[in-house]
Amino acid sequence: MTLLCNGFQILTIGRIDMQCFSRTVSSIFITLICLTTFSWRAAAQENGEYIAIRKEGSGNIALVLNKLDARGQGNAGAQRLDTIIRDGLDFTGIFSLISPPLNIKNNSDGEHAVINFGVLDSVAAEVYAGGTLTTKSTTLNLDMEVYDVSGAKLLFKKTYRGKDPRALGYAFCADLVEFLTGKRSIFGSKIVFISTKTGYKEIYECDFDGRGVEQLTSSHSITLTPALSPDGRYLAYTDFISGAPVLSIRNLLDKKTVAVARSGVGIDPGWRSSSEVATTLSFEGDQEIYLIKTNGVISSRLTNSPGIDISPTFSPDGSQMAYVSARNGQPQIFIQDMHSGQARRLTFSGNYNTQPSWSPAENKIAFTMWENGGELNIFVINVDGSGLVKLTGNSGNNESPSWSPDGQMIVFASSRQGQKRLYTMNVTGKNQKQLLSMEGEQMQPFWSLFRK
Amino acid sequence: MRKKINGMVVLALMVTAGCSSEKAATTASESADKAVAPLVASSPTPAPLIPKAPAPILSPITAPTPTGYGFDQWQRGSLGDVFFDFDRSSLRADDQERLKQNAAWLASNTGKRALIEGHCDSRGTSEYNLALGERRASSAKEYLVRLGVAPTRLETVSFGEERPFDTGQGEAAWAKNRRAHFIVK
Repeated sequence: MTLLCNGFQILTIGRIDMQCFSRTVSSIFITLICLTTFSWRAAAQENGEYIAIRKEGSGNIALVLNKLDARGQGNAGAQRLDTIIRDGLDFTGIFSLISPPLNIKNNSDGEHAVINFGVLDSVAAEVYAGGTLTTKSTTLNLDMEVYDVSGAKLLFKKTYRGKDPRALGYAFCADLVEFLTGKRSIFGSKIVFISTKTGYKEIYECDFDGRGVEQLTSSHSITLTPALSPDGRYLAYTDFISGAPVLSIRNLLDKKTVAVARSGVGIDPGWRSSSEVATTLSFEGDQEIYLIKTNGVISSRLTNSPGIDISPTFSPDGSQMAYVSARNGQPQIFIQDMHSGQARRLTFSGNYNTQPSWSPAENKIAFTMWENGGELNIFVINVDGSGLVKLTGNSGNNESPSWSPDGQMIVFASSRQGQKRLYTMNVTGKNQKQLLSMEGEQMQPFWSLFRK
Repeated sequence: MRKKINGMVVLALMVTAGCSSEKAATTASESADKAVAPLVASSPTPAPLIPKAPAPILSPITAPTPTGYGFDQWQRGSLGDVFFDFDRSSLRADDQERLKQNAAWLASNTGKRALIEGHCDSRGTSEYNLALGERRASSAKEYLVRLGVAPTRLETVSFGEERPFDTGQGEAAWAKNRRAHFIVK
């Protein structure tokens, strides 16, 4: 902890947009938990600006997460939930988790304990979080409080109620991250991907941390490039059920699927909004990118260049589209303005650049470069063409980058262990780790923007 | 169900292995010839002639033989495959010769139609290869149409890198996979 004491400075975190935050929360269309108290919001508005002490350069938030007090049935549930929250916060890579010092509370006999901010300050904690878990039959009641240590101020207080400890724990993690960073968190987000587990390429879904894998398609054919709409309601993908690669759009609520049955191909969809998806079709002859409504009706054609045009990905406001075009012979990434239709070439390094993915948080695009006919690796480039950074290397083929909803992480496929598996890393390429283990190969991951 | 399909594929491979050796001489390229050799060698007895049961359109990904998807259980007639250079969908001279033979066969078998599958090697990225495969199939189709084959008799589909002819790595395998594969209907 002494290390953390060096090089501190006071930084002001910008005004947290609580309206935006609460809108995000209230617009979640599948509610897993009951929110009972909203005193956290009042506390946040009271604070207006949240000032934190940050370690210079690290960007990590020094957090003491105290062990949960257990009420009701035993201690095991509290310990488990404690681990869930701790692991969840650790996964984000934005916290330095400090072991809770002794004597955090000056009175350990429960409800009237007072938090000892002096001892928290002495271990260089910026934020303190603690709470109680009350278990009544199968219902869990998690009461959490979060304090700013230096000001000894309550930042928010909230009750989470439900039956699934992981859902409760992650709901708290989500609130904590969004409160402290002002950004959409990864908690509750989903990753869809392709696996050959059954012998066929099918779409699967898992939580952001690789847990809870579920099979979404049983096409018994080849299924490729799943992409979830920003609101999580639709899943677009290509499959060969008809014998040819056709784009399908599935409504995940009523499970109805429309196929965009045109002659030729339907390749690699990318959502512009929750009501429009772009994909490559070839029914007019050449392969061009079209915008399609969720009912499968084509609304407009976006490209008009001889040669391959594929893999659309949009700026968060939908005003610009990055895509792959082989109009000059080899595949390069271009950016097209959706209003003027003007396109410019983005990538000039390398002869084979594909799989662009536009960051939901910054003006950056991740993509896959095939380096001199050798390995595939993931790069990030600014939308203006500057700041090319290589994120992977010397680890087999690394491909299919997709951003986390907060823009802080990237999920991708890698053959570093032979078979293709899914990995995550942060935006600088650090902290590369395997997302999940399952049979077969896993590839073409797509990280959702929404959270449940 | 899956086991059943696997079984069908293996059976189909065994059945066609015997007959494809003679077809190979006339229709397949030299490289394809090599690919078919181990299949023939591994058949202990000449395969019996059985009715051409329609094979499943798609086999499971786990290829039941070392040669993978390919030469193959669907090579029904006398139409030879054409092969492409890396990242190209343009027709080489040898491709054009083979397509002339294919056009002649189609001209004398007017009741037949053909499905042309575009394939790629496993290098590069899957989405791009799916697009490239379509261009290869289309190149072959357009050439046949110019030679007088009615476009309504020719259907195309791209499999990209999803169904390699040879699952091996290296140029020998890759060259076999960069092809337009003909299936007589």
